[in-house]
Amino acid sequence: MYGRVNGVTVVGVRGHLVAVEAHVGRGLPSLTLTGLPGAGVQDARDRIRPAVESAGLEWPLRRVVVNLSPGTLRKEGPGLDLPVALGVLAATAQVPAAAIQGWAFAGELSLRGGLVSTPGVLSVAIAAAGAGLRGVVVPASNAAEAALVDDLEVVGAASLGEVVGFLRGTWRPTVPEATARRVDARHAVDLAEVRGQGQARRALEVAAAGGHNVLMVGPPGAGKTMLARRLPTILPSMSRDESLEVTQLHSVAGLLDGGLIPARPFRSPHHTVSPSALLGGGTAFLRPGEVSLAHHGVLFLDEFTEFRRDAIEGLRQPLEDGRVVVTRMVGTVAFPARFTLVAAANPCPCGFAGDALRRCTCREDRLQAYQAKLTGPLLDRVDIRLVIPRLTKRELLGEQPGESSTAVRERVERARARQRRRYARFGLPNNGQLSGPLARREARISADARDLLASAVDLHALTGRGFDRTLKVSRTIADLAGADRVEPDHVVEALAYRSASPVPELERAV
Amino acid sequence: MRSEDRAGGPWPTWPPTYGSDEEDRRALFVLSALRGISPRSLISLAVERGSAASTLAWIREGRAGSDNDQAFARALDPDAIAGAAKACGARLITWASVDYPSQLREIHDPPGAIYVIGRTPPDVTSAVATVGARRCTASGREAAHAIGRGLALAGVTVVSGAARGIDAASHEGALSVQGPTLAVLGSGLDVPYPSASRALIRRIGAAGTLVSEYAPATPPSQHHFPARNRIVAGLCRATVVVEGARGSGSLITAEHAMEFGRDVFALAGSVTSALSEVPLQLIREGATLIRDAEDLLSDLGVEVLPTEATERLGLDDAELRVLAGIVEPTLPDRVATSLGVGIHEVVAVLMRLELRGFVRNVGGRYETTLKARPHRDRPVRPPADVDPGSAA
Repeated sequence: MYGRVNGVTVVGVRGHLVAVEAHVGRGLPSLTLTGLPGAGVQDARDRIRPAVESAGLEWPLRRVVVNLSPGTLRKEGPGLDLPVALGVLAATAQVPAAAIQGWAFAGELSLRGGLVSTPGVLSVAIAAAGAGLRGVVVPASNAAEAALVDDLEVVGAASLGEVVGFLRGTWRPTVPEATARRVDARHAVDLAEVRGQGQARRALEVAAAGGHNVLMVGPPGAGKTMLARRLPTILPSMSRDESLEVTQLHSVAGLLDGGLIPARPFRSPHHTVSPSALLGGGTAFLRPGEVSLAHHGVLFLDEFTEFRRDAIEGLRQPLEDGRVVVTRMVGTVAFPARFTLVAAANPCPCGFAGDALRRCTCREDRLQAYQAKLTGPLLDRVDIRLVIPRLTKRELLGEQPGESSTAVRERVERARARQRRRYARFGLPNNGQLSGPLARREARISADARDLLASAVDLHALTGRGFDRTLKVSRTIADLAGADRVEPDHVVEALAYRSASPVPELERAV
Repeated sequence: MRSEDRAGGPWPTWPPTYGSDEEDRRALFVLSALRGISPRSLISLAVERGSAASTLAWIREGRAGSDNDQAFARALDPDAIAGAAKACGARLITWASVDYPSQLREIHDPPGAIYVIGRTPPDVTSAVATVGARRCTASGREAAHAIGRGLALAGVTVVSGAARGIDAASHEGALSVQGPTLAVLGSGLDVPYPSASRALIRRIGAAGTLVSEYAPATPPSQHHFPARNRIVAGLCRATVVVEGARGSGSLITAEHAMEFGRDVFALAGSVTSALSEVPLQLIREGATLIRDAEDLLSDLGVEVLPTEATERLGLDDAELRVLAGIVEPTLPDRVATSLGVGIHEVVAVLMRLELRGFVRNVGGRYETTLKARPHRDRPVRPPADVDPGSAA
């Protein structure tokens, strides 16, 4: 009266193999779960019996004990419904024990015995492959993501009945169609759609080429969101591994619809977002936050000054480490979170400071207070600062459509390749990741260019931190130009991307 | 407006001996601290009573002034106010004093006494007021600075109100060449207001002159500023308005100047700008139009110092071409399109020009500074004539 089935629980983004043992013995009819089941798994107890009976199978009217091993690991998520049910069926010899071996099972059950789409199936499949199992049995709607894993058989079943049929040899799964092996990103938007804003388009190209974070300041309607939305389209195409990481994070968050995510994500949480929704968290099941959903992509924070202070403070860790560590009562989890930050803000509370057509109506003290919000410690990590003007009709009409994203992306990829070669020995991908001292050592700047930077410091156009930021951006501009050394022209252009105040006298030392 | 009920002057004014003896001076310390009584009522009282001391006694007896003023007048200790004035380095100049600026004797409702820190206020012939918007544009600030500097270099005292924006820029212009400047405050001299101008006010006190008709410790009040403006206009032979939106205090200063028979100048601005409203209105009413500091100085008959017309010779071909393309606030895109070069090149050239002070970035558009504008009598040579070897 004993059955053993492989299940997987997901902690953070990692799947851990769980042995689900079931014992059916004498005693009053009951189902007991042991082995540190989390609240979500406890929840499954009352769901499994109706599901089994709906599938036309028999639930033993005896005392059932299910143990989840290893007992030290807290099991979370609804994916354990299916292995628990199969464990009981194996213990009562309703499915052949031999057929269960070598497979891992995951999926949430409905009361009618159906298999419901379940978050984290990609992580389940990766764990199963890592453990050397033959295959996984998952809900049919999750089969595409599981099929992304190499050397693993995937069975997508729509119900518990089909799974049992598969194990008895009476039901044959349709093989999920081989998903595209190639990462082919198609974007719904293109940089060519932005009219005017040549300086901003160029600055985005520099940001993409160097992996620099961006702050855009401009009145409402200037096109900040439109520009930010197009940054993912000029970032280098993702490698398959990067795509898999992104897909896995979205899968764990329950946001995946289909297979591989080929395009770099663009996430734009509203400014009322809570710290745990932004950074990751939750009470029972630790879920990745917006920063992780933006992994390898762009995190766009519109109305940056309106975000909660604790949420913004929490961005420092992912910006520095490329990951975010979430600690809750149920445990500690690290989610990857390496993204390009694009922050956008109005120039002042009323939104029209420095505008050509409308007059700002803010009081001076409120302007000062607002400006202070745009100079916090987090913004030290932002290398490129731009003032985005609102264009007049006349200015818009005179403009030709700009370059397409594809054309810009090609230049970006060449510049990135130069950086990868240069920083291979430090394990750094791009200029944006350089620390200040490393930038000063590795920038390869000509004597003339260095003098120019120093004179900008003397002119009070730059502070010490501004010096390092400008140096890094200069290095990226040189990489875009294919230049070995940073020349004065590169520095001068970089200096133009340092100021985020349309009211210059408010900007003292940034 | 006031001038109507006063038409036909002469206006009643202080008795000649007002504040001449020690008792009167002590009374004036108290009278200058009263908040509810207007200068004009005080003048009527002084004409009636004959001296400051008897005016104060009249108020203390409850025969004039509001209840608050009467209680205040009884409670105040003249020695304490004199002590506070001394502590902040201020001296009291009364109507009867020879130091009392004679040009103030000609205006409506002159102050019976003023507190002064620093140099004694200059003659009317060598004082010019520069006033304008607090929330001004960068080019307005630049113009005010140039005017302040030019006046100061010619030895003319730059008079203003130490507010932010145009006021501050004109004081700064004078201070930048260690020239004379004078600020009239709407509060006691030991109450630096606005607080953003604290440092500026301290510097003006050290290098120039601070003036107020209010006793030390008097807080700023809304009705003090229009009153303060009559002293600004009254001290000067001319008032220059640089920028001002509708309802601006600079309009009041200019109207006072006209009323007192002094000259008014207005810096012309674009008709589409809200900040041009006051200057353009004044021009229509007969103020003299000026385009820059040079115009003002030559109209005033002050020697014009040669400007730095040769500066532009340091620019290279590309820089001159970009500069020529900027006649109004212009997007870098436009410059790039019209010159047929890449945006990143234009951005770099504009940044070079900005670092050297020829252009400035205003909300994403670029405009030229005064430095970039050619001297009127000496047009700048076209770019083709520039020797490429001289490029920096």
